[in-house]
Amino acid sequence: MSTTLTSGSGVRNPGAADQAAPRLRRSSPMHRRRSIAAWGMAAPFVLFFLVFTAWPVVSSLFMSVTDIKSRDLQNPFAVNLVGFENFSTVLTDPLFQKAALNTLYFVVVGVPLTILLALAIAIALNTGITKLSGFFRVGYYMPVVTSIVAVAVVWRFLLQPENGLINEVLGWFGIEGPDWLGSTTWAMPSLIAMSVWRSLGTLIVIFLAGLQSVPKALHEASALDGANAWQRLRSITLPTIRPTMLFAGVITGIGFLQFFEEPFVMTQGGPLNSTLSVAYLIYNTFGFGNYGVAAAMSYVLFAAVVLLTVVQFKVLGERDDATGRRRWFRKTGAAA
Amino acid sequence: MRRSTRVSVAALAVTAFALTACGRSDTPADDATAEAVATGDVSGTVTVWAMGTEGEALGEFAQAFTEENPDVTIDVTAIPWDAAHDKIATAIAADEVPDVSMIGTTWMGEFATSGGLDPTPPDLIDESTFFPGAWGSTEVGGTSYAVPWYVETRVLYVDTALAEQAGVSPTPATWEDLMATSKGMQSAGAQWGISLQAGQTGAWQTFLPFAWQAGAEIMNEEQTEFTFDSPEFVKALTYYQSFFTDGVAPKELPEGTLEPDFVAGKIGAFQSGPWHIGILNDTGGEGFVDSVTLAPLPSDEKPASFIGGSNLAVFKSSENRDAAWKFVQWLSQPEIQAQWYATTSDLPSVQSAWDEGDLADDAALAVFGEQMTTAQAPPSIPTWEQIANVIDTELEKVCKTGMDPQEAATSIQQQAESIGTGL
Repeated sequence: MSTTLTSGSGVRNPGAADQAAPRLRRSSPMHRRRSIAAWGMAAPFVLFFLVFTAWPVVSSLFMSVTDIKSRDLQNPFAVNLVGFENFSTVLTDPLFQKAALNTLYFVVVGVPLTILLALAIAIALNTGITKLSGFFRVGYYMPVVTSIVAVAVVWRFLLQPENGLINEVLGWFGIEGPDWLGSTTWAMPSLIAMSVWRSLGTLIVIFLAGLQSVPKALHEASALDGANAWQRLRSITLPTIRPTMLFAGVITGIGFLQFFEEPFVMTQGGPLNSTLSVAYLIYNTFGFGNYGVAAAMSYVLFAAVVLLTVVQFKVLGERDDATGRRRWFRKTGAAA
Repeated sequence: MRRSTRVSVAALAVTAFALTACGRSDTPADDATAEAVATGDVSGTVTVWAMGTEGEALGEFAQAFTEENPDVTIDVTAIPWDAAHDKIATAIAADEVPDVSMIGTTWMGEFATSGGLDPTPPDLIDESTFFPGAWGSTEVGGTSYAVPWYVETRVLYVDTALAEQAGVSPTPATWEDLMATSKGMQSAGAQWGISLQAGQTGAWQTFLPFAWQAGAEIMNEEQTEFTFDSPEFVKALTYYQSFFTDGVAPKELPEGTLEPDFVAGKIGAFQSGPWHIGILNDTGGEGFVDSVTLAPLPSDEKPASFIGGSNLAVFKSSENRDAAWKFVQWLSQPEIQAQWYATTSDLPSVQSAWDEGDLADDAALAVFGEQMTTAQAPPSIPTWEQIANVIDTELEKVCKTGMDPQEAATSIQQQAESIGTGL
């Protein structure tokens, strides 16, 4: 722990901390008194952390390797250790596989769609639309602060097969719209549309902030050199806001992997489990009292979240590959 | 670094110690025998948890009890249905229970096996006064852990005018009759002859009566094994499926359209409980229910229907056990049950309560009372909710994708076996 905390400053100015304070041997009474005082100061935080953060995590990990069920609630330690049996049960469960595929579908379509749309709208608000930008910002942020329960009622009205607004409008063009939430093909796209709409607002705000950091001078200079809008977007805007993109990708990815509220309020996972997500299945499994299996499922989902985040860091994270390599070449060239 | 190694070793040691300390004891819950209760003069406070309408009405209703027993205070806490299951589970886990709680019939298995509920003292409550199906819902592994409070069962709501127009009976007695009535009403102008739930949460409650009517049983008599892949169960699935393959029942019914469609004559019939009398009067205007025939469910090999409702349980850690049981006993007296019906419209679980007042005179309610005698409850096993979910899923495939009923029955059986009874 201590190494990670000091490594940043250590690189720039090694031994700075040691120089500032008089050197104390670890075993000296002074050192000991100081650390007791320090722990005393930190005690409230440490206590809260242990009780409300560490303990739930440790106990859920423990649950995932035992056969704990709801009937064991009174004696949670009187359970048998089953090792990784819960994990193999989860991974071979066809329902879990179905839920995992549904979640994958949701993430693979939903995350890029949200980011692209949010970016497009943010750029439009940042450059093109200046007159009513305040109005649009509020408008796009509204879904974020509105309760999902109220939103669900409205969306259900919109998506109703016979007199819903969407099918009504499609009807003007002679298209007979499907029963959106009742069809195994269309239920998931409907939920994706709703989730994208719900999460756009936050991302637009983040992207708008990121776009402020793009230097105007670069844009003007390249415009003078004859670069068109698309070229400027690709070569100036996007590389500059890459950290923002990474942040947006990570939080959207985590949020979308934990996809729960939309099927919970709109479809209850149906029809034919076509909108059953992993988080929803975990919720159900806990509800059935299979705490061990449900905890194992949660850790599988957790692993997926970590994996997705790592991939995003690899793809979008700080990389100086092209420029860095060139610089390295120049340096070695100069040395030779 | 050295410090962190020491910490990890300590953590490992603690974990190892904790792990060796655990392990399931082989002796099952031994105290399943009920102790006697002294209900003479009771005193103290009895805390009661109740859900929904019951939670709102019980506090005032219990004043009659405190008048008889002036030393007792009844303290009712109303809790919402959504939160009730988790709240009771947490209360049992933390051993911070009320004295009495209302328990949904399908939760009995789970809470009884968790060891939180007090077995019903046999000398206090007479089993034979209740509907057999209702009493059955309190028994887990042969021991009763609660007392039925109110019941409900599902009957057919048939559009009388539509049935007359089609020249079919609004009170179908057999499976063939039900199909004929539904088809008749459809050809007489209804968009759908009947609405049956095609899967999704709770569909099993609509379907299981058909399985019972065909003679199928969910478990063997000892409640040790599931019997889903019986020919009778398959027969019921096939019959249920035929409503969808023949286009008599809708595969998808958007939420909230059943009542308006039924009032508008677009749906000929549906199956539901007593609460729909009120809903239909709200949707179709006061007195609309008079134009509806409430018919008992048809029978095949035998008549059968689903029994639901709520039980009253006393907790094992109750601090005022005697007064708690006395209160439960008081609530299960016939005249009190009849009064409770007048307050909340909850149908009494005690048979003789049906002989008095409104319950005896109202023809529509008589259908419920009559059907209650043949109503059955699903097995009270801790894993029931999970198995019900499996039935919902497979039933949806049968209704919507035309899955082979035999295949579905085998699949339900296999999944139920792997889930187990949890006892």
